[in-house]
Amino acid sequence: MSADQSLIVETRSLSRTYRVGDVRVAALADVTLAVPEGRFVAVTGASGSGKSTLLNLLGGLDTPSAGTIEVGGALVSAMDREALARYRRFVAGMIFQSFNLVAARTALENVELPLIFAGVDKKERRRRAAELLDKVGLAHRAAHRPPELSGGEQQRVAVARALANGPRLLLADEPTGNLDSRTSREIVGLLAGLNRESRLTVIMVSHEEALVREYAQEIVRLKDGRIVAAEGEA
Amino acid sequence: MRFADAVEFALTSLRKRRLRTFLTASGVMIGIGALVSMISFGKGMQKNVTAAFESSDLFNTVMVMPGGPGGPSEDPDERGAVAKEAARKDAVLDDAAVAEIAKIPGVRSAYPDISFPALVSLEGEEEFRLIQVVPAAVAGSKAVGVTWGRPYASDDEEGVIVSRILVRRLGTEDPAAAVGKTLRVTSVTFDLGRILSLGLDGFLGGKGLPVSQEAHDFPILGVIDTKPFGGGPSPMQNDVLIAPGPAGRIKRLPITSIWDLFRMRGGRLGYSAVSVKLGSLADLETVKTRVREMGFTTFALADQFEEITKAFYFMDMILAAVGMIAIVVAALGIVNTMVMSILERFREIGVMKAVGAGDGDIRRIFFFESGAIGLAGGVSGCVLGWATSLLINRIVNFYLARQGVPFIDYFAFPFWLFLGAVGFSLLVSLVSGIYPARRASRVDPVVALRHD
Repeated sequence: MSADQSLIVETRSLSRTYRVGDVRVAALADVTLAVPEGRFVAVTGASGSGKSTLLNLLGGLDTPSAGTIEVGGALVSAMDREALARYRRFVAGMIFQSFNLVAARTALENVELPLIFAGVDKKERRRRAAELLDKVGLAHRAAHRPPELSGGEQQRVAVARALANGPRLLLADEPTGNLDSRTSREIVGLLAGLNRESRLTVIMVSHEEALVREYAQEIVRLKDGRIVAAEGEA
Repeated sequence: MRFADAVEFALTSLRKRRLRTFLTASGVMIGIGALVSMISFGKGMQKNVTAAFESSDLFNTVMVMPGGPGGPSEDPDERGAVAKEAARKDAVLDDAAVAEIAKIPGVRSAYPDISFPALVSLEGEEEFRLIQVVPAAVAGSKAVGVTWGRPYASDDEEGVIVSRILVRRLGTEDPAAAVGKTLRVTSVTFDLGRILSLGLDGFLGGKGLPVSQEAHDFPILGVIDTKPFGGGPSPMQNDVLIAPGPAGRIKRLPITSIWDLFRMRGGRLGYSAVSVKLGSLADLETVKTRVREMGFTTFALADQFEEITKAFYFMDMILAAVGMIAIVVAALGIVNTMVMSILERFREIGVMKAVGAGDGDIRRIFFFESGAIGLAGGVSGCVLGWATSLLINRIVNFYLARQGVPFIDYFAFPFWLFLGAVGFSLLVSLVSGIYPARRASRVDPVVALRHD
């Protein structure tokens, strides 16, 4: 299947088991998934269905108990800690429900973070961070710190930060969970725009059915850690 | 991640927690301050004692004596050096040997330690003394230290230098008044002619000794004061010093002790000792080795001083150990602060990891943070230690001045002490940072991002 150049994400029999005391809990079980490059995929399901676990695995934050993950031809599931850090830095950008910005740093400095870890020099990363903030429509808020920004603005900063090192994959974990419906629409619209314009593959976890139906090209439904249905254009 | 960025990260986070940073750095400051003042006190003591020794010019002197068994000052280091024994048997400390010693690189001057017994008299009072022959160059040096009058200007000047004690014994209380008076030196020599004229019977019958007397008058040019190290192997162990020129004109018994009679080799009698002055103490070992190769034994006060130096090292160790206790407490403070910092920034660490920070990046940020605490504490600790010792020095000198003790710097601050203290502080803080940095780098981003 790796011969198929158009696939960017490919998981096989992916499982993640947690130990809670003596009990083993399977957060994700036997998930096999293939995402072609440039696709906007939504992952839905009830809470505890394993959506976030799947996203953390795809984002290289967590490691699977069994099964494999291949992204862009690289076997992510076999990477060591250092390789995973590089993978997160350059290949998979992530945004979260609670934005996860560093409160002590300005919007611009937050966008700079991944560039700092990539070793980009100060002048260049200032320029690139400003460019990215402009792209998400927040150039005028660059010098503000997260507590001074609205939820929608914070999520835009997070998107700009996720794009800093030019990733091939954008992973969004309930990006609209803390936002009102109007702002939610704006954020998902922003992600869809990025997907369309720069053929950026977007995988978004959400349980807002209306938004998902409107923007996603493909919907993966999870229940108890397993895929129960996959719909959309193949 | 670039070095400058890691430093910037560390400083930003320290600035954010100003009070805690200040308190932790203060712990380091006190520890380093204690260490610096302790060591500077030890170094000050050492400097003062060394300076006292060095001002006496004894360090630069090596006494050279004929080697061989039975000698009065056999060097214990030479025991078992059987191979050299043969050469040594014939080594005579004569003028040729003295000239050879003087040619050894590093030797400033070498002069035989000649003394002869004589009767000295001043205004009718008599004393029996050993007269010591000392070159003008040495007589004028601080090793002798003429306090009243002046030393003789050349090796040929007629005149003597006497000790204050002798002047007093001869009835002159004021040493300054003795300068210019005339000292009569009456030497005693064997007279072979008299043995013949007396005849063996007469000699054995006690009708007279085969000796003749000869009197010379010398003006007293200078008087030397009593010295604290007068008993050492120095040129001023005798009460009358005379230049080689006039000394050569006196017939005398060339002996300093009964050992000289046994030291005669192959019919030649060398000097019982030769004083060797060094240009620098650094040449001590090479000069000693060369002289020993010639078959003589050596004695240098500098060797004895090594023992004293060892005692100072020991004292430094104890003082440093006291300072170390404070450092250990400060190090625990750093560990505590850093671990607290990890707990507070748990989520931030998760975020940094999520956007691509590697374990090494996180480690470096925390490492630099504790290093910055150590650096700040080290620098301020040096200032604290320096200020404290200045204060103590003032107070101690204030009280001692009442007892007539002159002002002394009890502390010494060599440049390396400051550099070493800052370096050591940095090292301690970095070691303290190892565990927190490791722990921060192992934070699981999934757990950290879920954390509130």
